[in-house]
Amino acid sequence: MLRFIVQRLFAAAITIWIATIAVTLLIHLVPGDPVRIMYAGFQTTEAEIEAIRARLGLDQPVWRQYFMYLGRVLQGDLGHSIVGNQPVLDTLLQRFPATLALTVSALVIAVVVGGSLGFFAAYKRGTAWDFGAMTLAIVGVSMPHFWLGLLLLFLFSMTLGWLPVGGSGWRNLILPALTLGLATGAVIARLTRSAMIDIFDQDFVRTAHAKGLPKTLVLYRHALRSGLVPVVSMLGLQFAYLMGGAIVIENVFAWNGVGRLAIQAVFARDYPLIQGFILFFATVVALVSVVIDVTYALLDPRIRYGT
Amino acid sequence: MSAPLLQVRDLSVAFGPVRAVDGLSYDLHAGETLAIVGESGSGKSVSSMALLGLLPPRSARIEGGTAVFDGQDLLRLSDRDLRRVRGNRIAMIFQEPMTSLTPVLRIGQQLTEALVEHRGLSQAAARDKALEMLRLVDLSDPPRRMRQFPHELSGGMRQRVMIAMAMALEPDILIADEPTTALDVTVQAEILGLMRDMQARFGTAILLITHDMGVVAEMADRVVVMHRGRKVEEGPVRAIFGSPRADYTAALLAAVPRLGARSAEDGPRPIIDQPALPGAVVLHAEGMSKVFAGRGGIFGQSGGTVAMHDVGFSVRAGETLALVGESGSGKSTSGRAVLRLLEVDEGRIELEGDDMRALSTRSLRKARRSMQMVFQDPFAALNPRISIGRLIAEPMLIHGIARGSELEDRVAALLRRVGLEPVHMKRFAHEFSGGQRQRICIARALSVGPKLIVADEPTSALDVSVQAQVLELMLELQQSMGLAYLFISHDMAVVEEMAHRVAVMRQGRIVEMGPRRAVLGAPRHPYTAALLAAVPKPDPTAQRPKLPRLDLKDLPMGPLAQTAPDHWVAQ
Amino acid sequence: MSAPAEPVAAAPVAPRRAIWALLRSPSGAVGLAIVLLLVVVALLAPVIAPYDPYRMASGPRLAPPSWDHWMGTDQLGRDVFSRIVHGARLTLMIGTIAVGISLTAGLLLGLVAGYAGGWPERILMRLVDVVFSFTEIVIALACLAILGVGLINAMIAIGIASIPFYARITHSVVLVEKNKPYFEAAVAAGASHLRLIFLHLLPNVIPTLIVVGTLGVSTAVLAAAGLSFLGLGAQPPQPEWGFMLSSSRDLISGAPWMMIFPGLAIAITVLGFNLLGDGVREVLDPRQRAR
Repeated sequence: MLRFIVQRLFAAAITIWIATIAVTLLIHLVPGDPVRIMYAGFQTTEAEIEAIRARLGLDQPVWRQYFMYLGRVLQGDLGHSIVGNQPVLDTLLQRFPATLALTVSALVIAVVVGGSLGFFAAYKRGTAWDFGAMTLAIVGVSMPHFWLGLLLLFLFSMTLGWLPVGGSGWRNLILPALTLGLATGAVIARLTRSAMIDIFDQDFVRTAHAKGLPKTLVLYRHALRSGLVPVVSMLGLQFAYLMGGAIVIENVFAWNGVGRLAIQAVFARDYPLIQGFILFFATVVALVSVVIDVTYALLDPRIRYGT
Repeated sequence: MSAPLLQVRDLSVAFGPVRAVDGLSYDLHAGETLAIVGESGSGKSVSSMALLGLLPPRSARIEGGTAVFDGQDLLRLSDRDLRRVRGNRIAMIFQEPMTSLTPVLRIGQQLTEALVEHRGLSQAAARDKALEMLRLVDLSDPPRRMRQFPHELSGGMRQRVMIAMAMALEPDILIADEPTTALDVTVQAEILGLMRDMQARFGTAILLITHDMGVVAEMADRVVVMHRGRKVEEGPVRAIFGSPRADYTAALLAAVPRLGARSAEDGPRPIIDQPALPGAVVLHAEGMSKVFAGRGGIFGQSGGTVAMHDVGFSVRAGETLALVGESGSGKSTSGRAVLRLLEVDEGRIELEGDDMRALSTRSLRKARRSMQMVFQDPFAALNPRISIGRLIAEPMLIHGIARGSELEDRVAALLRRVGLEPVHMKRFAHEFSGGQRQRICIARALSVGPKLIVADEPTSALDVSVQAQVLELMLELQQSMGLAYLFISHDMAVVEEMAHRVAVMRQGRIVEMGPRRAVLGAPRHPYTAALLAAVPKPDPTAQRPKLPRLDLKDLPMGPLAQTAPDHWVAQ
Repeated sequence: MSAPAEPVAAAPVAPRRAIWALLRSPSGAVGLAIVLLLVVVALLAPVIAPYDPYRMASGPRLAPPSWDHWMGTDQLGRDVFSRIVHGARLTLMIGTIAVGISLTAGLLLGLVAGYAGGWPERILMRLVDVVFSFTEIVIALACLAILGVGLINAMIAIGIASIPFYARITHSVVLVEKNKPYFEAAVAAGASHLRLIFLHLLPNVIPTLIVVGTLGVSTAVLAAAGLSFLGLGAQPPQPEWGFMLSSSRDLISGAPWMMIFPGLAIAITVLGFNLLGDGVREVLDPRQRAR
């Protein structure tokens, strides 16, 4: 088990390491002069441009730039943003709690709604209930997140007037979390259904029935506990998608998280901020996957007690 | 005779439009063993699942009949009432011990839950009973087993747990659906013995579902023979084996290979008038070793598995060398190694004197013309998206043997050679039966005129009547074309029919090698003797000798030494 | 992206039978109908659309749906229905080209890595896994940061962003197929690398990729609409659905039709490809049909 955790942590470290290489290369793939593009909206002289180039280390060979960047990253320095000249890490950390609140509450909604819908559909496989649940799920999968957000906004804020339109209190979190949660829940419902159907077809479920156990006991003790393993194992990926979806949803609801920051950075061509965001995103996703992998390992004795 | 315990009348089960079971009737009496035998698709499994309401509810439908047990018709019981019978009065064990236990629950919980449910025992009482059952099924250290998860036990141990679980409630009937089919022959012998012990102790009636006539002869009091959903014959086991009335039963029994049937002969049965005799050495292998790396990744290898250690043998033209052994013995690895489908770590492989391991990729491709392979699962061995005509033609195209209309003529001739029609050329693998598919695989192997064919369990996925036909085809081809066979099998009776010489493998090593008649008739290695003793004989009059209790740790597993002309035994 | 990376197994199906089977599965028939309708609308857009999608003041500004303007007009007086009809062209183009990019690159990557095995496979797939975990939207953002905003760039960005997904699926199918005896039989017959890859592996990978590619169109459409919604894709005055939604944002309470119809158009398109993908999977994989 310890070995498993170490392996997962090692894999996460590799992911983050590759992300540092990717973001260093990013700036070099920009067609034209990145410094001029970044400062396109500023009044700058040639001398200032060269000074900025030197400060960002862009006059150095790529490999040296990479090691300089890596060295700074290891010290927790992600550089300064072009717009506002703020330390990138501080800016990201300041915005991150909002994003975390959004994604975690959305994940809870997604797992509860999607998980139970998928389980229910698998249990009622082939019936009208299954068909209804899966129709709901595929419609949910097909709706653009931001449109669902706009519809909820129109319904609950504008027409019914129950919830505020924008802002940063917990009442403002309800709609974005619901939007993201329902959209992801639809995906989880489909995945859960197919995982549970696989489980229901397993020999050991037949054995449990053959023992004469009550249906509910077979369902919860044998099928559900086994089904949790594949279902939880796919949550890592779903969380990554949730983080990605949050970027859009934050913009719909003017929720001040890192996603909104990222879009502003892309518009402004604020490369240090974009680099910092990608690295930050990769790190969060990698660490959350480690947590989720360990969770499913705890559920699966083959890993828990394996080598 | 008293009233039957279970009375099945006119049972019919349909899957969609197909009747899988059609008007089946039989009685099961207290304490007896009734075997239901049949080949795949005979409906033998379906009929027993129907009794306990375990058929897949969406696809299967019980169309009629009754199954009276203890005064009530099982087929008409409510879910609730049927549940009280299941596991309690009628228990069941299944074919696949590896997948029949819930992987995330401890053995202890799986053993006790039915006791708690049906008997209302306290956890402590259920635990005591479970421990007692684990001792009865001869598992070591029961308290530790209780805490273990299924993946920590071997297949044989899991089947013991399944039996303990089934017998803990002392049911009136035990339904055993192919209980030993997935197990090695020595483990099978132990499990069958255990089932008999349990029956004697608890007086349980056993409904044994199997395709294996050897198991039937050894276990059954009475037999029901099924074919395509119908009962073709029923009777006491000696009558069925001694004087079968139905033609189907007679044909089935005739097709069963019997170990010892050719013990007085040196070679296989001659199929043609003047069979080719063993000639020059085609394949010579020596010192082959292979270690499969453990899954370790970056932190180094975590102990590899020794798949082959110092394996060597040779095969002559027109001769069959059989590699026999249980799962994990390295017999398949050896077969694939000589074809260089798998690279050995050490060793020398010569095909007609050429060093195979020294060949470049290009010359190896050319050399493949002389050696071909026939696989265990003929369906998986045929690319599903290419017509069989093109599949058979492919090796000839690759080696530039023929093209155009000549190629087509050759494919047609090959199809006829293996007993199929040239019109089949345009069809795809899924349109053929299992036996036909294996014939297609053989035709493909023959297309390039190989000297050596490695056949890896070529008939173990086939029904016994089809197996007999495919084996006869292989013998006929060998005798007329002088082919060398490396024949890999776990089935001693099939080996006896096919082989000139036999090599017995265990844990990656050859423990005994010599002429078939000597090795099977007078084995010199204790493991060979144990393997042979474990084979169930398809003869109800034969008394199985008491199984030798094999001390696996003390088996001689050292280098081979010659003990008789051409007869080698591990020391 | 939600498509499970399960390989599609099973026997070949004759084309005519396949279409028949597709029409008989409810999801396949509905999906096919939606997709065909979309294609017809896109091809005949100038004929179907009652107004020029770019012409301002085709009617009054912010007019609610009426007989003249079925879906109302926007803040510049353009006919929403005409803009949606023309938007179908953009949407289909983005969807198919983006999938074309990612499918081709992903297929090659997965095929080569899976066939090669050993350390090239391990390094390549490890890299693919890492990039995959960044998620499509972040990769697309990175691409747009490099290329700059715009509809064509968004399309390329989405295409690049999905490469790891297709590479992973192809790789997983290749791993399954490579370990089947038929592949070993071809090796034993002496087949060359090219023959093994293109004659034996590729045909068995294609069915899975047809399914995944169909489902992938819907993902690409969603992603492109999302980027345009954020202002990173389509630029004014392009009649792109996601962009139309973003300009409706401030007018939701007064002119909800500007928000409802483009969103509906996206949802129906995506639903169509999702249903079609599910339907094709059922046809190609009998295991799924039994469910």
